[in-house]
Amino acid sequence: MLTARASSRTVQRVARNFATVVDSAGVKVAAVDNNQPTASVTFLIKAGSRFESKPGVAHGLKNFAFKSSAKRSALGTVRESEIYGGVLSASLSREHLALTAEFLRGDEPYFVDVLTSFVTSAKFARHEYNEYVAPAVESEIEESKFNPGFQAVEAAHAVAFHNGLGSSLLASPHNSITHEDIRSFAQSAFARDNIAVLGTGIDQTTLTSLVEQSLSKISATSQLSSPPSSYFGGETRLQAHGGPQTVFIGFGSAGRPSPEIAALAAFLSTTPSVKWSQGTSPITATLPKDTAVEVVYLPYSDASLFGLLVQGPTGSAVKEAGKAAVQALKTASNGLKGDDLKKALVKAKFAAASAVDSREGLLSVLGSKVLSGHESSLDSTLASLDKVSENAFAKAASSLVKTKPVFVAVGDVATLPYVDELGL
Amino acid sequence: MPLGFTLAPKVLASKTLTSWITPVAHWYANLAGYRRYGLKYDDLVIEEYEDVQKALNRLTPREQYDRAFRMKRASHASVLHNVLPKEEWTKPEEVSNPLSPADQM
Repeated sequence: MLTARASSRTVQRVARNFATVVDSAGVKVAAVDNNQPTASVTFLIKAGSRFESKPGVAHGLKNFAFKSSAKRSALGTVRESEIYGGVLSASLSREHLALTAEFLRGDEPYFVDVLTSFVTSAKFARHEYNEYVAPAVESEIEESKFNPGFQAVEAAHAVAFHNGLGSSLLASPHNSITHEDIRSFAQSAFARDNIAVLGTGIDQTTLTSLVEQSLSKISATSQLSSPPSSYFGGETRLQAHGGPQTVFIGFGSAGRPSPEIAALAAFLSTTPSVKWSQGTSPITATLPKDTAVEVVYLPYSDASLFGLLVQGPTGSAVKEAGKAAVQALKTASNGLKGDDLKKALVKAKFAAASAVDSREGLLSVLGSKVLSGHESSLDSTLASLDKVSENAFAKAASSLVKTKPVFVAVGDVATLPYVDELGL
Repeated sequence: MPLGFTLAPKVLASKTLTSWITPVAHWYANLAGYRRYGLKYDDLVIEEYEDVQKALNRLTPREQYDRAFRMKRASHASVLHNVLPKEEWTKPEEVSNPLSPADQM
């Protein structure tokens, strides 16, 4: 009964997809209007940390967002945005820099102008770097020191992919970045083929006409490039204080992310479907008290990183939890049968579909597809999950687990386990 | 950095007005005497204001050094009750306003 229902329920139509992608003067514009009370416009720029010319430049550029441009000063932007009641934000991932404006419907001429004037005519003033940007960069670095999970995933990327995807999201604490470095990085990144304009709650033609004029001023092709990713693997141990003891056990692969690994991540995921219940994840059943395992699955355009983030109060507890998690992973990688596989696929489909429900998720999932010119809908993702078979899953999962693992220990490195002690 | 009411932008916008007024301006600046002590106009701005302090903080180390040097040289000349030798006078073409927002980019 349950299996019949689960298999027959295919997602017919995803209403929140971007309708069409219009190529306006070399810039890709996509908009979706679901009659939300607020609207948002995001400039998604391929200027993530994997493209940076000097370590930390992308982080600096993110914090330079919405500072002085030829049209208005940093203070002017703050005051005018408050008068309109909108919110401006910038976020950085390994591949993209997103500049977002959220505002009430009808205010799009002003907010699109703020975004385009930053992209076309930002000043990157020296005093703004010293007075606003550098302190913000520094405080974000300081904040990350108290988040061992973040540190572990950052270190895992460096070990797994070396350059490119391996470069850190944050600048190093003792960097030599100047406003000139950030300016030249921005100039090579802000090009028409490197930007996707994504709108929610806004009409496509309105957005296109607003963007078209102003973005014709910037150069047509970007000068940024990143070598294709390759996976290495290895081990690193970082001494840290204050946070929980943390271990990250990961397996990466170069090439397009495969739906089988997404299904494996969904199967092992320790987040229960009903709050405060234990869930049926094979990891949760054998975990020692006070320890937690989080399944991390990070797909990128040409690589993916799958891993288990194990946290606990002491090194020995983390060792026990790590052993249990690795055991569960190995069992699952031998293949899933019947209901187990169906459960994994449906959970993965729900995770993919519900991510698109939120504004941030919509941008992070579909934005990169718009930018690369692929079909900008979720249908292909869901269809690829539908096609996963028992054989394909077993093959993909077992070959993933056979690769050289990434192992990162953050915390009290004297008591935290080594990779061979976890049964790998 | 205009500290008060100024017609300068309007004058600079008109070619004719600029060509008339520039010689008068240079005559006036030479008459004021600070150029003979090797100073720039911005060195005369009173420092004890918040905005001026902020502008001073934004100078590059090189500009800060040059400013201190000009001040020191001028006060030394003042102690000697004499102006600087003519080759050290501020020349009209090297006039810049280090404290103006445009120069701080």
